[in-house]
Amino acid sequence: MNQIPVIFDCDTGVDDAIAIMLINKLPDFNLLALTTVAGNVELEKTTKNTLRVLELIGAEIPVYRGANKPIFRDHVKAAYIHGENGLGGIELPQTKYEVPGITAWDYIYQEAVKWQGELEIIAVGPLTNLGLAFVKYKKLPELIKRIVIMGGSASIGNITPAAEFNIYVDPEAADIVFCSGVPVYMCGLDMTMKAYLTAEEISRVGALGSRPAKFFRDVAQGPLNFSLGVGLPGMSLHDPAAVLYANDPSIFEIHQVGIRVETKGPLTIGRTVTDLYSDAQWEKNAFIVTDIDRNAFFERVLGLMSEY
Amino acid sequence: MTKIPVILDGDPGHDDAIAWMLANSSSLLNIRACTSVCGNQTIEKTSYNAMRIMKLINLNVPFAIGRKKPLLGEPIIAPDVHGESGLDGPVLPEPAITPEPIDAVELMAKILQESDEPVTLVPTGPLTNIAALLILYPELKSKIAHISLMGGGIFFGNWTPAAEFNILVDPEAADTVFRSGLPITMAGLDVTEKALIFPEDFERIRALNNPVAKVVAEWLGFFYQFHRAKGYEGAPLHDAVAVTALIRPEILTTRNYYIQVETKGDFCRGMTIADHFGVLHQPENATVILGIDRLAFVDLIVEAAATYGEVAE
Repeated sequence: MNQIPVIFDCDTGVDDAIAIMLINKLPDFNLLALTTVAGNVELEKTTKNTLRVLELIGAEIPVYRGANKPIFRDHVKAAYIHGENGLGGIELPQTKYEVPGITAWDYIYQEAVKWQGELEIIAVGPLTNLGLAFVKYKKLPELIKRIVIMGGSASIGNITPAAEFNIYVDPEAADIVFCSGVPVYMCGLDMTMKAYLTAEEISRVGALGSRPAKFFRDVAQGPLNFSLGVGLPGMSLHDPAAVLYANDPSIFEIHQVGIRVETKGPLTIGRTVTDLYSDAQWEKNAFIVTDIDRNAFFERVLGLMSEY
Repeated sequence: MTKIPVILDGDPGHDDAIAWMLANSSSLLNIRACTSVCGNQTIEKTSYNAMRIMKLINLNVPFAIGRKKPLLGEPIIAPDVHGESGLDGPVLPEPAITPEPIDAVELMAKILQESDEPVTLVPTGPLTNIAALLILYPELKSKIAHISLMGGGIFFGNWTPAAEFNILVDPEAADTVFRSGLPITMAGLDVTEKALIFPEDFERIRALNNPVAKVVAEWLGFFYQFHRAKGYEGAPLHDAVAVTALIRPEILTTRNYYIQVETKGDFCRGMTIADHFGVLHQPENATVILGIDRLAFVDLIVEAAATYGEVAE
């Protein structure tokens, strides 16, 4: 089988951790490396969490450290969802792995050259690393096949009424990515809010019994309780939904759209403005994933976790 | 029965015209005045259209002309939606009234001052006049019962991807209105793009065969053709929903929100933002209409057009 060369860019993070466990079990992907970025928590923590999750699942995949802050702005965290350590206070065993000195954006370019246009990026944190890569390497757009992101929303926001967290943290980087010329597949809140697991479903994953499955259950409790507390039916698996979309779009609904990112409006910074529903139409630079078959999604998550 | 006193403020416009026809037909409303604002077309054209509509529907109340421009910035007009006249389609009677010698805002203030009871404002264009009224006559706020407006949309725009036309034309005015603390009902694109009229609906109106119904059917035909060409299934009767909220609220579904208006930015100027998850912890400032029983709405428009049979010449 011809595997797709993929780099997974993340800010681990509870749902990033779950996404890592899932992507590791997808045979269609040749997972080249994980790159880290400041997002849910600080870069040192997202890098440490990424390494420890890989250790937990016994995956020998290189990790490259990315940006420690957004391109133009101060870093905003989401510790209120992910806990101060990014994993809801759960302390995974330490690793001995030393992160190489090369930056995430240099590594992405290096691999893009190597794979001659076949490389795909799945980015589930703020888009700072990709933004910097496009700024630094003008040939990069023609060398990346596509970018699947978790981020943004064509409807409602979460960190502000208008904006989703990942895009809000580094809106300029996000706009650079949307304007790069590489097709961007946006898995935003429109879809990922529907990709939730109930408390009972999370327990079923935990009942699989493996250490990764029990970690899944335990690490999900913080965001699950937060979500139930604000009246939602379960914990949204934002990042895993983007990973599974990238792997198999058949259980998703998608539309070709124009998307730009607001970087100036005081109330709307980080808004992914989308022409899907408006009379005004833009150049089509992206695809938006708007819906998911939730039951099929859960079965897929459960199936992949049962492989541990 | 006590009627609701209202002032109709619009930029007619086909859907404004039908909103006014609907309001004028209702035994629940007491129209105290009409005012014009620049929006769909220039102030000269919207004012002329307003007076022609008032003649057509035999609405004999004071009328005054509003501002030439938004509070800040230049007018935006929509000739591709409503035609060069702002109300293209059937031939209309010439105006029978003379505008009041005062500005629309002064007329509104005068009506409010002289009213024994608070008055409801029904703006179906940009909110320029309403904001000017709030800014210039803050003492009259207590005389405003309610603002039932057409504008905005909490999920998407039309004129730009983020903004609906009426709010985009004068975002600062809209911001003033939404910050006013007055009770606001917002008929935005969330509902108005569901308030669709189809050919079988306007054929029902045409069959009423009174002079107003015939014109309404032709307006709807014009509006339908335009929207079909744009990819809509039917003609959205945006402005009529703001009147429906006053006379038949039971066919609408609503939710209360804290609404803000973006006035700056590259892509979001004129966006109405709803705090869906309550992350700002602000009190709700608007009742947003989200759904409509379309068939009941069509019946309402048909019933309204039928009332003009009784006054036809």
